Amino acid sequence: MKPAAFEYECPTDLKAALAFLDADTETRILAGGQSLVPMMNFRMATPERLIDINRLPDLDYVREEDGDIVIGALARHGDIKASELIAEHLPVVAEAYEWIAHAAVRNRGTLCGNLCHADPASEMPAVMQVLGARMVASRLSGSRQIAAEDFFLGTYETALEPDEMLTEVRIPKPEPNSSWGFEEVAMRKGDYAWCTVVVMLSVEDGKIRQPRIAVSGISDHAHRLGATEAGLEGRAPDTALLEELAQSAAQDADPIGTETANSEYRRDLLRVLMPRVLQAAIDRAGE
Amino acid sequence: MASHLDTNVIPPSRQREAPRAGMTWIGQSIKRVEDPRILSGKGGYIDDVTVPGMAHAAMVTSPHAHARIVSIDTSKAKALAGVIGVYTGADLATVVDPCPSFASPPVPQHAMAIDKVRHVGEVVAAVVAEDRYIAEDAAGLVEVEWEILPANVDIEAALEATGDAVLHPDDRESNKALDESFSFGPVEEDFAAADHIIKRRLRWNRSSAQAIETCGVIAQFDPFKGGYTIHANSNFYNFIPFVIGGSLRVSPGELRIVPVLTGGSFGSKVFTHKIIILTGGLARLAGVPVKYIEDRLEHFTNSDSHGSDRLYDAELAVSKDGTFKSLRFTVLDDYGAYLQFGVGTHGNAMAQVTGPYQIGSFAMRVIAVLTNKTQQGPYRGFGSEVTNWVMERMVDATAAELGRDALELREQNMIQPDQFPYMIPTGNIYDSGNFQEVLGQAKEMFGLDAWREKAAKLRAEGRCVGIGVATCMERSVYGPTEWWSLNNRETPGFTLTSTPEGITARFDPSGKLFITLNSPMVGNSPETVVTQILAERLTVAPEDIVINYSDSQSGFNGVGPQGSRFTAMIAGACVSASIKLEERLKRFGAHMLQRRPEDVELRGGMVAVKGLKDQEKSFAEIALTSSFFRLSFPDGEEFDSGIETTAVYDHPISTDPAEDRSHLGIFYPIVGHICHIVAVEVDPGTGKVEMLDYSAVHDNGTIVNPRTLAGQVWGGTANGIGTTLSEQFCYDSEGQFTNPNFAEFAMPTANEMPRNFKLGHVETPSPYTEYGIKGGGEGGRLGAPSALTSAIEDALSNYGVRISALPVTPPILRGLIREAGQSAAG
Amino acid sequence: MKKIAVSVTVNGRQREALIAPRMLLSDFVRQELELPGTHVGCEHGVCGSCNVIVDGKAVRSCLMFAVQAEGSQITTVEGFSADGELHPIQTAFWEEHGLQCGFCTPGMLASAKELLDANPDPTDDEIREAISGNLCRCTGYEFIINAIRSAAKTLRDTENKKTLQPA
Repeated sequence: MKPAAFEYECPTDLKAALAFLDADTETRILAGGQSLVPMMNFRMATPERLIDINRLPDLDYVREEDGDIVIGALARHGDIKASELIAEHLPVVAEAYEWIAHAAVRNRGTLCGNLCHADPASEMPAVMQVLGARMVASRLSGSRQIAAEDFFLGTYETALEPDEMLTEVRIPKPEPNSSWGFEEVAMRKGDYAWCTVVVMLSVEDGKIRQPRIAVSGISDHAHRLGATEAGLEGRAPDTALLEELAQSAAQDADPIGTETANSEYRRDLLRVLMPRVLQAAIDRAGE
Repeated sequence: MASHLDTNVIPPSRQREAPRAGMTWIGQSIKRVEDPRILSGKGGYIDDVTVPGMAHAAMVTSPHAHARIVSIDTSKAKALAGVIGVYTGADLATVVDPCPSFASPPVPQHAMAIDKVRHVGEVVAAVVAEDRYIAEDAAGLVEVEWEILPANVDIEAALEATGDAVLHPDDRESNKALDESFSFGPVEEDFAAADHIIKRRLRWNRSSAQAIETCGVIAQFDPFKGGYTIHANSNFYNFIPFVIGGSLRVSPGELRIVPVLTGGSFGSKVFTHKIIILTGGLARLAGVPVKYIEDRLEHFTNSDSHGSDRLYDAELAVSKDGTFKSLRFTVLDDYGAYLQFGVGTHGNAMAQVTGPYQIGSFAMRVIAVLTNKTQQGPYRGFGSEVTNWVMERMVDATAAELGRDALELREQNMIQPDQFPYMIPTGNIYDSGNFQEVLGQAKEMFGLDAWREKAAKLRAEGRCVGIGVATCMERSVYGPTEWWSLNNRETPGFTLTSTPEGITARFDPSGKLFITLNSPMVGNSPETVVTQILAERLTVAPEDIVINYSDSQSGFNGVGPQGSRFTAMIAGACVSASIKLEERLKRFGAHMLQRRPEDVELRGGMVAVKGLKDQEKSFAEIALTSSFFRLSFPDGEEFDSGIETTAVYDHPISTDPAEDRSHLGIFYPIVGHICHIVAVEVDPGTGKVEMLDYSAVHDNGTIVNPRTLAGQVWGGTANGIGTTLSEQFCYDSEGQFTNPNFAEFAMPTANEMPRNFKLGHVETPSPYTEYGIKGGGEGGRLGAPSALTSAIEDALSNYGVRISALPVTPPILRGLIREAGQSAAG
Repeated sequence: MKKIAVSVTVNGRQREALIAPRMLLSDFVRQELELPGTHVGCEHGVCGSCNVIVDGKAVRSCLMFAVQAEGSQITTVEGFSADGELHPIQTAFWEEHGLQCGFCTPGMLASAKELLDANPDPTDDEIREAISGNLCRCTGYEFIINAIRSAAKTLRDTENKKTLQPA
């Protein structure tokens, strides 16, 4: 299990890096390498050229900027997990990281790399969607922002064009009264999850406001559950309601199935986890 | 009353060192002798070996489960810079013969497939190149044209296969490799007289050991310099190297197998003959030394070490009062594409198939099924882990059907302390034990009564909390009849009855005791064990003992660590060697002290005059004098210079199987007993199982080193937890192995282990082994699956879930809960 | 194929080599630098046997290309012991029987060292979490956890003694 040969470029400014993307060569960006390199070792990925962005300056940050928490392309999972800014403003991200991979992988792996990898079972694509994150896609001619909901298209497939690189993720700071819930089920702690449910909401005057709920592990990419959100908006938190919405979300779902976890199981997880996660968020809102 | 067992006479004990209290070294948790070099990164594993001019091999493997090889084009691969050679199965067959097989009649297997592949991952061509990267590049350039054949995936369907779906049509008309029936005692009568017959269909699915180190070989071939020199992480290098020599077409004199420190085996590296033959042949063809280390994918798909994969239809005959009378079952075993060790895994299970219970008769039909999967090999338990689980499942099923308490039912049927040695219907004996004491200690340690109350209360609150108790046997120290006793009697195969373990011991002139072992270190503690036993027996200081390993040409008998045999066997060899060394030390020492040998004794590293202080000679002084000052002693060969001996220990107590197989003889008689008790909580919505509390009590006879034994129990329990909850090889309908990687084959991490594991020991010494030592290398995996299964079923008793297959991963368990709910609703 | 010069400091010693970009750090350390203490168990980033410490962080050396380590400080298991003495974490593994076959041990040591460098008094759950990315098939982990707990205490005691000593 050794990777196939590739050309290696290690640019030291962003423009040079982006210039490499504007070519015919099959090119992959190498950030943390924690998803790409295993695939290369299995020769499931055989890029002709790797652009190692680890030496680009000024991309390793978690900072506050214009009301957003902004996470740069080289911010490692481990640093984000430990960030005080994240703990203060985005506790759902910190909680999710408790369940994601293991220390040595988090030491190298980057959030942006994880999002670009777009594994259907990965947690962060769902988390980013409930947070309303915007992906900053850069190319030589400029940059654009892509809403998280529009970023994930399918298994290992994102809205990035071949000449674009995800240079940062901008997460609006949640409203002070907003609350969150996160739960997943995986074979082992740290494994990719069979089902992840994540929610953001607030409770005002006894009514659920602005609920955002997303799942991963259910279809070929993480997605929001619009119908459930609509069913929650403006309603009083109530166990029966949560159960009922979970039931219908599970019914509406058409989960993927694998040898280890069939679609029936994933449907069950969706139905079971959703009320738990919503209840946790509602309880937190009351604290 | 005449019995089928009358002819199976228990031989007298050959024990020389009786178990006793207050020993100096045996029983101490000394730090392991092996560890400093390993901890500092200097262990010397197989991939650490390099030889001058060494090239690297990579394999072209089959992507199909069953296919004919129409053609292989190696031209592009050969043209790649850095490639030394590319070889197909036909090329390899010019220098090697087929692999050895212990099955009888054998199922032919080539180290590299010729004409046909029978499982995904089977090797069809190999590249030898300057480095592994280039070798893999070239492997990717080999073009193979396939004709796909029907794949056999399902164990029952494979038996019905005909035509192109038959795996070995030249040798067998069907995929049935063996079908034998046995009856031990009055089974028919016992079933006819039974008040209840409990029936269950039970499925144990495939997984494997997956030691963190894979198998590997460095092979050199030089016709002018002794033929083959092969470094390998194999156990059997001193036992049957000539068998490998046969496949390599050389005499044992032209084959030197050199052992290395081995990064875990759990059975998986017992023989590893295929990779040795494959790499050896490549080295000969390429004319350069070749290193081939399996990568993880190859270890999963081609390492011939998959575990048991069985379907049981079992029946237990029970009296009205709950007394077990007879057990019988038909078992299908999916052995995969070949049958390297025959049905030895079922022979093994015959050692303790009736568990710790008094069951008077037993019958079995065993059918070995060939399918398009990697073939089976040994994995911690070697088949007995499955029958332990089957037996305990049957006890739980009986309790459920009779409305009895499962633990009480166990106690009612258990063999009593005054019944040892106890002969079970198959003819094997349980040498000694006190199952009641083990159970009693386990109950107390676990706090069973309190836990039962607590669990009942929590269940009443709607929580799925349950407790499981397993009382299982841990047979140890096998005799090799298990490999062939179940074979067709007309073609029983290689009917060997020896599995000895030897040692060479020598006092050098400085007084250091140099030891040569004939079996490798695989994660067990051979050097520590030998050090403790020799220090005990000879009163040598542990730091004066130096340990080395022989190779297949310099060594003597050695079979190695497997079947929980090594500690008891090497202890026997150490005692034999000690007796001989003591005799020589005393002879020389007495002469130096001007005393008679019978007037001296060994005392603190000295030969000393009995009853007198200060009348003594140190071993160093004796060794020096005997080595360099021959004229200080009388003439006669008993005073030949130097103090050295080679000693061997044969199996302490075994007998032949009956000619007509009415019994199988004594072959695995040194039995331990284990009790595991576990409390779990199941999340019925997700199928996740959490272990709340776990206690295990093991009786492994006299313990040499409590801490290393505890390590074995822990590790085995972790394996058993994995087997039960998370480890599963998945195949699709085409025979694709869909999860051959560590991300998806889910071995427990530290997070998946129980938080408060308590371990206790009872020491019932064996009357047959030296010091009463019993083996303890497999117990964890022999007990954990039964206890956990039982606990999960108990936790889900409100749902009426019945577990009849392992593993129960969360999706599988959730499926059972869902079905139970539906059938309850319906 | 174009080779690239790489210069790293491994166990305190400056090492230079000309290597193919695809050479994994694990192979580089084992083969080019002839430091076989780092073990390769899965080559897909799950087992953790190949963990080494790069610039203070434990990383999977099978998931890093050696060229990426340019200019880095790397510690492998060979760099733990010094002057013929085992590192306190190694000693604790020895005393607490934290290894059997020893194949996973170098990776475990790297994870343990990273943990204890950052957290001198970890809880058992923190220890479990820190080594949960290291698979061990022999021990069932319990004695490894004991070893790390014991090493933490030894290291704390040593640190305290230093602090208490007059300047």
